[in-house]
Amino acid sequence: MKKVIAYIALIILGFSFLLPFVIMVFGSFKDMKYALLDPLFWIPEDPTWSNYVYLFNNGIFLRWIFNSVVITIIPVFSQMLFCAILGYIFAKKQFPGREAIFWIFMAVIMIPQQLLIIPKYIMFADFGWINTYWALIIPELWGIMGVFLVRQFLQSIPNDLEEAARIDGANDIKVFFKVILPLSVPVVATVGTFAFISNWNDLFQPLIYMTKEEMFPVTVGLASLLGKEGDFGVEMAGSTLSFIPTFLIFLFFQRYFTEGIQMSGLK
Amino acid sequence: MITLKQKEEGIQKNGKKKLPFKERAKRQWDKNAIVYIFLIPTLIHFLVFQVYPFGFSLVLTFLDWKIIGDPEFVGLKHWIAFFNDKLAWKAIWNTVLFSIYYIVPTMALGLLLALIINSGVKFGGFFKGIFFLPVVTSFVIIAGIWGWLFRGTETGMVNWIISFIGIDPQLFLADSGQALMVLAGLSVFKVAGSTMIYYFAGLQSIPKQLYEAAKIDGASAFRIFWTITFPLLKPIHFYVAIITTIGSFQIFDSTFLLTGGGPNYSTTTIVFYLYQQGFAGLNLSYAAVLSYALFFIILVVSLIQRKYLGKETSLY
Repeated sequence: MKKVIAYIALIILGFSFLLPFVIMVFGSFKDMKYALLDPLFWIPEDPTWSNYVYLFNNGIFLRWIFNSVVITIIPVFSQMLFCAILGYIFAKKQFPGREAIFWIFMAVIMIPQQLLIIPKYIMFADFGWINTYWALIIPELWGIMGVFLVRQFLQSIPNDLEEAARIDGANDIKVFFKVILPLSVPVVATVGTFAFISNWNDLFQPLIYMTKEEMFPVTVGLASLLGKEGDFGVEMAGSTLSFIPTFLIFLFFQRYFTEGIQMSGLK
Repeated sequence: MITLKQKEEGIQKNGKKKLPFKERAKRQWDKNAIVYIFLIPTLIHFLVFQVYPFGFSLVLTFLDWKIIGDPEFVGLKHWIAFFNDKLAWKAIWNTVLFSIYYIVPTMALGLLLALIINSGVKFGGFFKGIFFLPVVTSFVIIAGIWGWLFRGTETGMVNWIISFIGIDPQLFLADSGQALMVLAGLSVFKVAGSTMIYYFAGLQSIPKQLYEAAKIDGASAFRIFWTITFPLLKPIHFYVAIITTIGSFQIFDSTFLLTGGGPNYSTTTIVFYLYQQGFAGLNLSYAAVLSYALFFIILVVSLIQRKYLGKETSLY
């Protein structure tokens, strides 16, 4: 009996959580004029590619996707590398000021992004970074959260392997690449997936630093489509396309998301 | 690089005078070259993109920052304006209201999802994935669909569904009494999956013997939940409450995307108001005051977390 209730709840909730995505994907294949008239317009019947054709002919949409790729891929790889090295440094190396610096990092993480964005806007205007990729790439090259995750992970790993490598005459760089990095693959994957999601989905920062349409990432681009009544089909097609990379990352790295969430929370 | 490093060395080790400075610096370098090669650029980056803006933002609040022309010192003008700004307080109130609509439902739904998956159903991992999907999806995508679902006409899908149980069409986002709730609903849908992950981890860490003992005593499932599961999840409740509170005070995307702060300012949240003042009205100094107000609120919440969480997490 208890099991039956659990399954019924599971199916109802699962259906509810999936429905918006189903509407998005199915709706993207429907003629847009129905979207405003029929709540069930998305039921697959007379599918059409017209929304996708419109987006691809539009040209600017592909540019938005390209912009998003640029501002996502570079920080993802950079964060994986730097957070791994810095996490290693803070977990295993002894140097003066280590605890103090880390403590300051952890204090600064509490500052909301929205507070930094105004002075950063003024700074970036001085640097000439407004409407350039720099504004969204350079500040994201590493992240405190990523360093924290790698440090937590490495602290739980015994020093034996590292010491053995040192006896064999390996220096720090060698120890890091031959011993630490291979061990840290799961946590580095977590850092990468987090970086991907936060950069690919970011709306607030590009909204402020990117004012020219051709520099919009796909989030800001889609936001500019939103609200234009009658474009719902196009909007859903754009959403579906911009959702594909997220979905693929999610499909392959789901475990790293959930592990990362648990690690960042429950120490 | 070397001079910077030596400077640091000099400061750090002034106390011990066993070896000449150069020798000590060299030893430290041989031992920790990797530290200095990566840490110094990181610290410079940290100072430029985190610490300096934080300080500069405070300075901004005392200036009249103009897009063109020199800034002018105006003392507490913007702070006084903030305390007299009815709209700013309305924005804070709206944000508090949003938290009320959002926090408890997110926690309850997250706990419910975790309980179902933890009950040993088949395909639990698959459903966990489905519930987690909105967490990784951008606000823009979800808001686009949400706005369509909650269209305030008879052909809106939610209106169409509730018409079957005899409820008249609602205006939803166009109604100043409902808009904030619809936005909170969007956030509940988006965030419940991550709350579920915390609760799921919490549920798995509860010792199985406790449940077995309760069953032997003949306790009902309902009673087991309220006397064992729920109280033992206390640290998770607390942690999740804190992070959802912090998240709710930063809400911006859904109001920007769906309501533009309206109708009648009913969905103008702190961050949305800050955005409007700063980047639509180009009143950057006043926006900096608002951002500090946000910071103080989040700081208080975080300090509560630090104060209580240390003791509460002992179980895990």
